[in-house]
Amino acid sequence: MTDPLTLPEGQDSISLDRRSFLRTGLGGALFLGTISVTAGLSGCATSPAGRLGAVETRMDARYKFQFLTADDIKLFEALLPAILGSALPEPANARRMVIASTVERIDAGIQKFGPANQKELRQLFDLLNLGVTRVTIARLWSPWPNVTTKQANGFLERWRSSSIGLFNNGYMALTKISNVAFYGYQENWHLSGYPGPPEWAVQALPQFRKA
Amino acid sequence: MSFNDRIAQGLESGWNVIDGATLTENHTAEADVVIVGTGAGGGTTAEILAKSGLSVILVEEGRLYYQKDFKMDELTSYANLYQEGMSRTTKDGAIAILQGRCVGGSTTVNWTSSFRTPDATLSYWVKQFGLEALSPQAMAPWFEGREARHSMSPWEMAPNLNNDILRQGCEKLGFSWQVIPRNVKGCWNLGYCGVGCPTNAKQGALMTTIPGALDNNATLYHGLRAERLVMKQDKIDALQAIAMASDGITPTNITVTLKAKHFVVAASAIGSPGLLLRSKLPDPYERLGKRSFIHPVNASVAQMPKLVDPFYGAPQSVYSDEFNFRDGVDGDAGYKLEVPPLHPAMSAGVVPGHGDEQTKNLASLPWMQSVIALVRDGFHENSTGGTVSLRDDGSPMLDYPISDYLWKGLRNAFYTMAEIQFAAGAKKVRLMHLDSDWYSSWADAKAAIDGFSMKPHRVRLFTAHQMGGCGMGSNPEESVVNGFGEHHQVSNLSVHDASIFPTSIGANPQLSVYALAARNSTRLAQRLKA
Repeated sequence: MTDPLTLPEGQDSISLDRRSFLRTGLGGALFLGTISVTAGLSGCATSPAGRLGAVETRMDARYKFQFLTADDIKLFEALLPAILGSALPEPANARRMVIASTVERIDAGIQKFGPANQKELRQLFDLLNLGVTRVTIARLWSPWPNVTTKQANGFLERWRSSSIGLFNNGYMALTKISNVAFYGYQENWHLSGYPGPPEWAVQALPQFRKA
Repeated sequence: MSFNDRIAQGLESGWNVIDGATLTENHTAEADVVIVGTGAGGGTTAEILAKSGLSVILVEEGRLYYQKDFKMDELTSYANLYQEGMSRTTKDGAIAILQGRCVGGSTTVNWTSSFRTPDATLSYWVKQFGLEALSPQAMAPWFEGREARHSMSPWEMAPNLNNDILRQGCEKLGFSWQVIPRNVKGCWNLGYCGVGCPTNAKQGALMTTIPGALDNNATLYHGLRAERLVMKQDKIDALQAIAMASDGITPTNITVTLKAKHFVVAASAIGSPGLLLRSKLPDPYERLGKRSFIHPVNASVAQMPKLVDPFYGAPQSVYSDEFNFRDGVDGDAGYKLEVPPLHPAMSAGVVPGHGDEQTKNLASLPWMQSVIALVRDGFHENSTGGTVSLRDDGSPMLDYPISDYLWKGLRNAFYTMAEIQFAAGAKKVRLMHLDSDWYSSWADAKAAIDGFSMKPHRVRLFTAHQMGGCGMGSNPEESVVNGFGEHHQVSNLSVHDASIFPTSIGANPQLSVYALAARNSTRLAQRLKA
């Protein structure tokens, strides 16, 4: 198994305290306290994307992103086809819609995570979005919009099978928030053969009755 | 739309319930007793004290959700009813923490399993922590009382297939199994206990002690975060609290000062040590936040030949204690075997994977069955638990390193769970470990488990039971509170939740919390009325 921390030849080792890297959580202390700053200086989007135009979201211009930045959205647009695989519809239009709505629910879910986990996710996403760390840590040469599903899958497999716990944890964080937001959504329940709450109970309970 | 439930009626009748999000200016209020937390411990304490005639203020950081909000939807419920939107983990991210954050606390979202504290656990506390008054005989009437109050009894309907497979496997292998007592009244057997009971059948704090306290003139603030207890000389003078916005997560700049003669902290085994640490209360022997226990949980899933529909029916109705105390109370790590409900989001969060493989895993959810093992931590010298400390922003976090002793127990649990599932006729079994494939025979699974790397993150770990951190004991050098939950150093402070357990319980802890809180509140009422 290759070690994802091994740098491509000819590159200097980036400064990181490997031991603290291994000790910490999602992004943890890592060297990520500084990454957000670096990301800002290097032109990464660092503020929530807010309302995107209908063309950009390809879906619902009314949704207001509160956590994910424009770069994070591109990250998930590249990752979701690899994470969700054949659960995504084939036709391009439907596929784009499902991806866009899943990204929105990921944003909505993270809203409720609270500051501590948001900080860790911010660090993880910044790490993946910033060129130098995307190359060294994720070992992806292209920016996310140019990453193929096959390459995204390779990245996920590397983090999953890595002997470094932090990468396993990053793998779990990315796949878990995506899988939960996708499979937990009513319109996707059929993909797990879940018929939803029993209809007889819905009929009988007052909270489902229209006023 | 008309609601006849206990909460809607109470609000209509003029209960003193204040939503922090509606406050527009700072204010001060006063009562005989201020209680922080509205779960198993806080609710019980509030009802008993209010019924004794004391004036009571309850403080809850989460919001008040009840029947009108409980629509059997996972995403909404996980976002609103659970700590950190169901994303809470231990410090290194290796253990997912399932914990309630709403009026009723974890009792609003638990799976209703209602066990007495095992005799072996109580006897261990008597011996190890000088808690003679907590012997099984002495505690029996308190368990009985709470079983009546919360309508607890062994589940009478047939278990769903998800649970019955645990029974079948145990039968085949000659392992003991029992029916789980549940705290329900008129249960519809739907399977949605974990997302807020839609029918009000669950007799958690929300349907019992909270209404009981409010009927007796208690005041409930929800959406109000307890920031710190403020000492004046050697006593606590006030609780400083901050109102939360209506999203439930954003603090506002409105502060509420609550004064009282006595303060009861029941904010959970993470929240209570957190509040005491933030308040910088006396802790001369540095015991606060230490010895935190979690019943580390690992899991196995199986593909069964028949439809299981693991999302329907009472989520937990069968358990096995075959391995819980097998090697003695303080021998090799024992574990209780239970079953989790599997709805789509829960399954997608528990079963690791991505891509077409994951699509296939989840497409077979109706045939999926799962067993979980709850490891009994805190009884052995190599199981000293975790530590609650504060982040820079003052929020509490739990660091829980897994010792080799626990890893051994977790590996043994993997063997047991796979063996049980194959014995019950599973076609394939997969352990919740990043190294695990689907195995089609017990021999294959066994060989694979032999080679599993037992490390954080590779083993998928969970906890739904947080305990300890304000441990009780007779010796102040080794504990935070005495056997009545009274703080060793601060005379007008008690702790009434799972944080006072000196070890884990070895069973789902809600009844242990209810019973100790009832006992300690009865004493506190007498003390304050004297």
